[in-house]
Amino acid sequence: MSDEVVRVSGATRVYNEDTIPVQALAGVDLRVNRGDFVSLAGPSGSGKSTLLNVIGGLDRVDSGEVTVDQVSLTGLSESELSDLRLAKIGFVFQAYNLLSVLTAEENVAFILQLQGVSKSVRAERARETLAAVGLADLRDRLPGDMSGGQQQRVAIARAIAADPVLLLADEPSANLDSQTTTGLLELLRHLNEDEGMTIVTATHDPMVMAYAKRQVHLRDGAIVV
Amino acid sequence: MALPIALIAQLSLRNIVRHRRRNLMLLVAIAVAVFTVLIINTLIRGMQADMQELVVSNLNGHFKVHAPGYRDDPSIERGFKLAVDWAPANPSAIEGWAARVRIPAVILSERETRGVQFVGIDPAQESISFLGTAEIDGSLLSSADDRRLLIGKEMAAQLETRVGRRLVIMTQGADGLNREAGFRIVGTYDTDGTTIEKQFVFTGRNALQKMVGAHVVTEVSVRVDDDGAHRTIGEGLAAFFADLEVKTWQQLEPLTASYVLFADSAIFIYYFIVMTALIFGLVNTLVTSVMERVRELGMLRAVGMRPGTVVAQVVFESTFIMMIGVALGLAAGWLVFQALPTDIDMTSWVEGADKFGIPNIVRLRLQIGDIVLVTFLSILFGVLASLYPARKAVSISPVEAMRR
Repeated sequence: MSDEVVRVSGATRVYNEDTIPVQALAGVDLRVNRGDFVSLAGPSGSGKSTLLNVIGGLDRVDSGEVTVDQVSLTGLSESELSDLRLAKIGFVFQAYNLLSVLTAEENVAFILQLQGVSKSVRAERARETLAAVGLADLRDRLPGDMSGGQQQRVAIARAIAADPVLLLADEPSANLDSQTTTGLLELLRHLNEDEGMTIVTATHDPMVMAYAKRQVHLRDGAIVV
Repeated sequence: MALPIALIAQLSLRNIVRHRRRNLMLLVAIAVAVFTVLIINTLIRGMQADMQELVVSNLNGHFKVHAPGYRDDPSIERGFKLAVDWAPANPSAIEGWAARVRIPAVILSERETRGVQFVGIDPAQESISFLGTAEIDGSLLSSADDRRLLIGKEMAAQLETRVGRRLVIMTQGADGLNREAGFRIVGTYDTDGTTIEKQFVFTGRNALQKMVGAHVVTEVSVRVDDDGAHRTIGEGLAAFFADLEVKTWQQLEPLTASYVLFADSAIFIYYFIVMTALIFGLVNTLVTSVMERVRELGMLRAVGMRPGTVVAQVVFESTFIMMIGVALGLAAGWLVFQALPTDIDMTSWVEGADKFGIPNIVRLRLQIGDIVLVTFLSILFGVLASLYPARKAVSISPVEAMRR
């Protein structure tokens, strides 16, 4: 098994906003190995979220290549990209993006259900994962009845429940206070150090950067450090 | 990968409940549309069936046999001999049949004179015609030998006569000479249409044959009981009466046949008008609903739900709402259909319509085929209406969707 989980080679991405081209990625090269905890840092518009999105197959590069767990994303159809995300990648979003009509446990089990895991197995796995993020008692609550920190923990539980190869987190602390952020980062550190999970975050929060093993700084779509 | 049906159903049902007020309004709109279509259908089907029944029972039957040229020149010379023991083949598929002598005649009372169709019948065979259900003042003819008259109530009024009085009938005999005879009125009949009452005067078949001097009949009407046997019976009659004409009721009354066919189209047209109006509302509501959830749908795709599965979820939601609405509409329609009187008197709405062969009394009819049609098309419309917003939802990239 290769240690390389993510490889980005010469990735470029240009957005045409109001007919004015914006260079979001300008020839980015990046390697992320198994067990890494990488923080993509930089000011707004530096390209960190775009880089995270192309790694996650949510956006496509104009040139260059992206591979995740030895699978090249170039040329994959939308459905194939969906299948790859489902099988290999866990996502944590800035705004949690939980399904408001599902309970915490159902939100966590949702990915497993998409994967076709049996009901009994996914229920057990969802409970274990919620317990791992410290929310065993809140499994029957709807997202609307939970705090921002609790919702983000449910989002992390959802992202890791299926044991993905890679966990991508886009500004995971943006809507959290510092105390909650600390708890969240301790959880990510635990997942990385104790569970061996590979994590890539995009953030401009110094606290998040401090917890990462490796910081990658971007400016104007290029890696500067 | 197979569609995660259980997951789609779970999310769809929860979303329907989440937007319960909007979906309730949508359900009511669908139910009202289906209910309206169903009730109008029962009315149109009732009028359609009643018009057909009127024509069939108007001495036509489903098939009628007569000599070539009789329809243009309905005289006794166009009569034909019918074996005494003749009966149609396949009796289990036949409701009944009647052999008649029908010739033009002039009827005279002390005060008035009228031209009529003088019909010699065997009353035992006339359960297949309107005489089987007409209200009779006095009594029916007793047999084919009965030499009395049964006239229409309207005719009696025009001739200013009544049961028990005598009338004179003039017609042409088989020898071409005029025949004239006096008859006593045994009864008057009352039907839905006054035209019929003014048109037909009945006596015993044998009595009329004796009067015109020819032991022939001019027509045989056959009424079919089994709808699936029409073709076989028609072919059987045509083969047996090879030298005669065998006409269907549609050939004898093409105007009514056209109306009956048009009624089928009218149901479709009406249904499409109502459902098209509904579809606009449905699409509008679904687009609003989907656009409100575009961020959520983007997230579903981001975490690995295929675009096709997202489309399936939106389609499932709208189809489910459609199915519930259709079920409610059908249930309401069925309850109202059960509560309404069997016969609806339309006299005050369509006064004089009977002169055109449209019955004053409409019997509502609910056909299983119409229920199946309404259900199937409604669900089909629901699926089609939801495809546009569903496709629109997945046309937005997950990243763009989650930014909204």
